[in-house]
Amino acid sequence: MRRVLVLFLTLLLLWAGVAQVNDLLAPAHVSVFAGGLFVAYAALFLPLGEGLPASLLAGAVCDAHAPVRFGTLVLLFAAAHVLLFAWRDRLPHDQPAGRLGLVLLANLALFLALSGLAAGPLPAHAGRWPRLAADLAASELFVALVSAWFFALQEQALALLPPDPERMF
Amino acid sequence: MFKRFTQTRPFATLGIVIAAWLVLPVALKTFLRAGFFEFTAPLTVAASHLRDLQEYWALRLHRNRELIEAGRDLARVNGFYEYTVQQNNVLQAEIGTLEKALGLPALPGFRFEAARVAQRDLSGWWQRLVIRKGRNYGIPLGAPVIFTGGIVGRVSEVYATTAVVELVSSPNFRLAALIDGDTRPLSYQGGINRPFAPARGAIEFVPLDITAAASAPRRLVSSGLGGVFPAGLTVGQVTMVEPSADGLFKTGEVALDPRLSELTEVTVLVPLGGK
Repeated sequence: MRRVLVLFLTLLLLWAGVAQVNDLLAPAHVSVFAGGLFVAYAALFLPLGEGLPASLLAGAVCDAHAPVRFGTLVLLFAAAHVLLFAWRDRLPHDQPAGRLGLVLLANLALFLALSGLAAGPLPAHAGRWPRLAADLAASELFVALVSAWFFALQEQALALLPPDPERMF
Repeated sequence: MFKRFTQTRPFATLGIVIAAWLVLPVALKTFLRAGFFEFTAPLTVAASHLRDLQEYWALRLHRNRELIEAGRDLARVNGFYEYTVQQNNVLQAEIGTLEKALGLPALPGFRFEAARVAQRDLSGWWQRLVIRKGRNYGIPLGAPVIFTGGIVGRVSEVYATTAVVELVSSPNFRLAALIDGDTRPLSYQGGINRPFAPARGAIEFVPLDITAAASAPRRLVSSGLGGVFPAGLTVGQVTMVEPSADGLFKTGEVALDPRLSELTEVTVLVPLGGK
């Protein structure tokens, strides 16, 4: 439980950071989305019982700040988490480059899924697609820049906790 | 058998999560949404206060001479505004007299509630602001939000100490508008948000005789019809109109105020009488 809470606190920090970056980028008419980062570490390195609740809580925080049906991001994060978790033994998540590739792929998939869900009921404007493409490029760049730091932060935050006797045996 | 169970366990868990979410009552989901927003609101507000503090210390670095010049300019602007306020009072009195004489219902009145912007979230999917006033200042749901350049948007969510404003540039924002000087209403919708360029909106059902171009733009104002916005507020400048596919009307594009994406303070129009 404590590990879930610590992990959630790091995700809350990420959410606050992304919100500030978007606030700063607003005058430039571009924004970033870091959905892949919210699920990647927990899915690739932690047991399902610890990682999934943290991803669900992070999804609920993101959902509360998005004008989409509440639960959309919770379920998208859950699906991304489960897919990464189920395939992690077959994926090159031990090397930094492989890890980065997986985070970028997860972020891309979540961005496209959210674009489909958020834009679905709205009338199409030709001006929307260049904006989404620019947002996607900025998001991938942002995730690539901060993923190593954020993985280290999560690892160090969990290392601060005393060892769990159940996990030692 | 055990291996197969281990392989399918994550997907079974996902299925349980989805099923649990589907059967969760809507009231509980609404409560959870508000709960998570309120939980993170102190973070949003604290970051906003820190930015204000940073701005304050940056302003403290200005020289006295610059401050004296700014004060002098402000005094001139205040003089002009005082004159405008006097004119406005005369006009309001005249409107009151005419309303009484003609037996007309009084125009809706508003209380002006200035609010600092705590967070801007302008993405390709939605365009929203979080302001630092909510139920604690009596901000109602759906209230119009304005700034010196015209309409900012409308309040879409209200929380204890914060509120969310859906911007006029958001794809979900619709409004009945008028071309300034014309009386025929048309439909405005936000959503043309190109990267690295100011936001634009789209208009539909424009009468065929209306013309506008980038070199000769027409001001688009709120109509006051079927909505919360009082008439005459600037929406933007119509820079292009062209015949629609059915040939009965025209469609066009509206250039919104570039300052919309840089707002730090807005004014919420709170209807008087609790409406």
